[in-house]
Amino acid sequence: MRLTESQAVIRPRSPWEALDLGVRLAREHLRVLMISWALLTLPVLALLTAALWNYPSVVILVFWWLKPLFERLPLHILSRALFGETITVRQALTVYPQFLKVQLLSSLLWRRFTPKRSFLLPVQQLEGLSGATRQARVRILTQENTQAASWLTIVGAHIEMALYVGLLGLIYLFIPSQIVEQLDWLKLIDVEAHGLLWIEHLTNLLYALVLLVWEPVYVACGFSLYLNRRTALEAWDIELVFRRLRQRLMGAVHLLVLVGVVGMLLLPPPALAEEITAPAMCPLPPQEVAGPDAPHLLNQPLNSQVARQHMSAILASPPFKNEHTQLQWHVGQQGKDKKSSAESQGMHWRDLEVLLAHAARFLEVLLWTLLVLGTGLLIWRYRVWLKLFTRRTTAKPTSPIDTPHQLFGLEVAPNSLPDDIPGEAERLWHQEPRKALGLLYRGLLSHLLHDFHLPLKEAHTEGEILELSKSMPRADIVDYLHNVTMQWQRLAYGHQMPTQETLKALCHQWRILFNSQVPA
Amino acid sequence: MSLPLDTLLRVETPEAIDLMLRPASVVPRALAYAIDLGIRGVILGLAYLVLGFLGHIGVGLIALLTFLIGWWYMVLFEVLNQGRSPGKQLMKLRVLNDDGTPVGWAGSLLRNLLRVVDLLPFGYAIGILSSLLHPNFKRLGDLVAGTLVVHQERVHARFAMPQVIPLAPPFTLGLAEQQAILAFAERQNGLSMSRREELAALLAEPLGVERSEASARLNRIAQALLGAHT
Repeated sequence: MRLTESQAVIRPRSPWEALDLGVRLAREHLRVLMISWALLTLPVLALLTAALWNYPSVVILVFWWLKPLFERLPLHILSRALFGETITVRQALTVYPQFLKVQLLSSLLWRRFTPKRSFLLPVQQLEGLSGATRQARVRILTQENTQAASWLTIVGAHIEMALYVGLLGLIYLFIPSQIVEQLDWLKLIDVEAHGLLWIEHLTNLLYALVLLVWEPVYVACGFSLYLNRRTALEAWDIELVFRRLRQRLMGAVHLLVLVGVVGMLLLPPPALAEEITAPAMCPLPPQEVAGPDAPHLLNQPLNSQVARQHMSAILASPPFKNEHTQLQWHVGQQGKDKKSSAESQGMHWRDLEVLLAHAARFLEVLLWTLLVLGTGLLIWRYRVWLKLFTRRTTAKPTSPIDTPHQLFGLEVAPNSLPDDIPGEAERLWHQEPRKALGLLYRGLLSHLLHDFHLPLKEAHTEGEILELSKSMPRADIVDYLHNVTMQWQRLAYGHQMPTQETLKALCHQWRILFNSQVPA
Repeated sequence: MSLPLDTLLRVETPEAIDLMLRPASVVPRALAYAIDLGIRGVILGLAYLVLGFLGHIGVGLIALLTFLIGWWYMVLFEVLNQGRSPGKQLMKLRVLNDDGTPVGWAGSLLRNLLRVVDLLPFGYAIGILSSLLHPNFKRLGDLVAGTLVVHQERVHARFAMPQVIPLAPPFTLGLAEQQAILAFAERQNGLSMSRREELAALLAEPLGVERSEASARLNRIAQALLGAHT
């Protein structure tokens, strides 16, 4: 064993940290540890099962009892691996029989039940001690770290149980529910009577698989506890540093001798000695007798005391110090006293019950209020986020343009128009033909604006509206608009009256297009 | 060659200071959990006994208390008590964020909510496996929340060192070497006589003294390293 070859950092750790190192060690060599453990224990389990098929409980008991023997294999692997010697599964298994014989009986009988098993295993296996020398060694080693070693075993047993039941539960979860429903649970309690031995052997196998995971960790933790104890007892960490220091210095000394010889030959005698012996010159500053608070600068009108007064005056006035008086109402002290004295006097069990009922009601109200408020707060907090999940149509933006109420002086708001536009136009034709045609045109624009959402603005001219309307899907309406616009422009700007037939035709067309009823 | 195996986790702060965290493995954590479980059991048991007499409000309070202790016991202690539930405090553990900062509400809530996953299928089986396999011993909750369970910093007790006349070291010493010499002086009472001589003898030749005097010489150097003057 050479400390300088150690693959783990050697330093004194607390016992719990030593366990941490053990877990890391096991994880580092997980593969070889698990494979070797499986190759060793699973055949043993198979043999036991074959030999004692009718007694599954005995099989698992014997298997469990043999654990200390199995544990010698991972310890061997770990002890080699720690000092840089990678060991294969085959090598480990070939040397294993050598360890098997050593102190076989004591390991299986009286040492089987000590909770410090994994901590003390290295003493007999790695140090090769037995009898009285082992006793003495164990006595020294167990002065510390034993608590952690015992807890390791106790927690380990629970971890084994947790993993074992966990594995069983996992398998149970994978059984189809139809089969579970038909299961006769009473049979499982006494499997031997019902010829269900294989189930018990299966659970034995599960236990062996659990050990596959935990035992390497258990052995490694015990080993690292042992290492930690030896590190503390024999100061391995100090030895390591001292060895490196020695190596550095001895190497340096040889070099120094060489340099010294060469230097003496080449250089004039250096003044090194004087430099070293000269005392370190760093005189202390003269002791200041008066502190900063003592009065000084006394020979001038603005001496330190006056300055200090000024300063404190400034610091006591705004903006450095702001005082303001506040008046508040407080619950009167007197009333409180009265109430509590009254309570202490006339307190009956019945009152208490009523009080408790009130308190319960109050608590209930309080909790519901909190729930409502909390929910509200949450919704408010995540309102933007929630918007993602609401329907988009509800949040449809209003049309980007304001629908104008007037286009070149004509009212186009729907409420400014009569219901039956063509009828009204025909009626108006005889008195005010200009108004009649205007009404048709206005009505049409209003339809375009509000029913077809044509983005019209007040600034648009008749020609532009005609252009815009060409983007609409309804070609018949575009044609109709063209006609009406032409007639309107002729009347409005050219003062050319349309004939009565033209107006009739327009009204007729309107009724066809907008499906309004023909007057009787 | 890869770095030697160690249980330290180095975290660098923005100020370029290396913090050494010491993640805790499954055994001390399991014990801490067992202690917490016991404490919670006792509290709830007592509460059931006392509040059972109070009728409706008693039932209400029991329900509240069960909820509070079931879901918030760990979180409240971890956030308000520097990452330590009572069990962790007894086992000298604490919860930190991955970067060494104290664990906050989000982290603590997350890691404790995910206990539900870790304890599947039975008795924290998943958590145990995850903790055994992760280099920093994290269970799933720790992985998700980005938290870490570490051993608390130990306060080292000053050991009594032999009072000898200090002597400046005859050669320059690195930090580790100074620490080793100090450790030698501090821990020599725990070492056997022969082991002490054996260790000191390693440096007898560089120090230029007899093997038997090396130990005393190292003690004097340790005094000087402590800051005592000749």
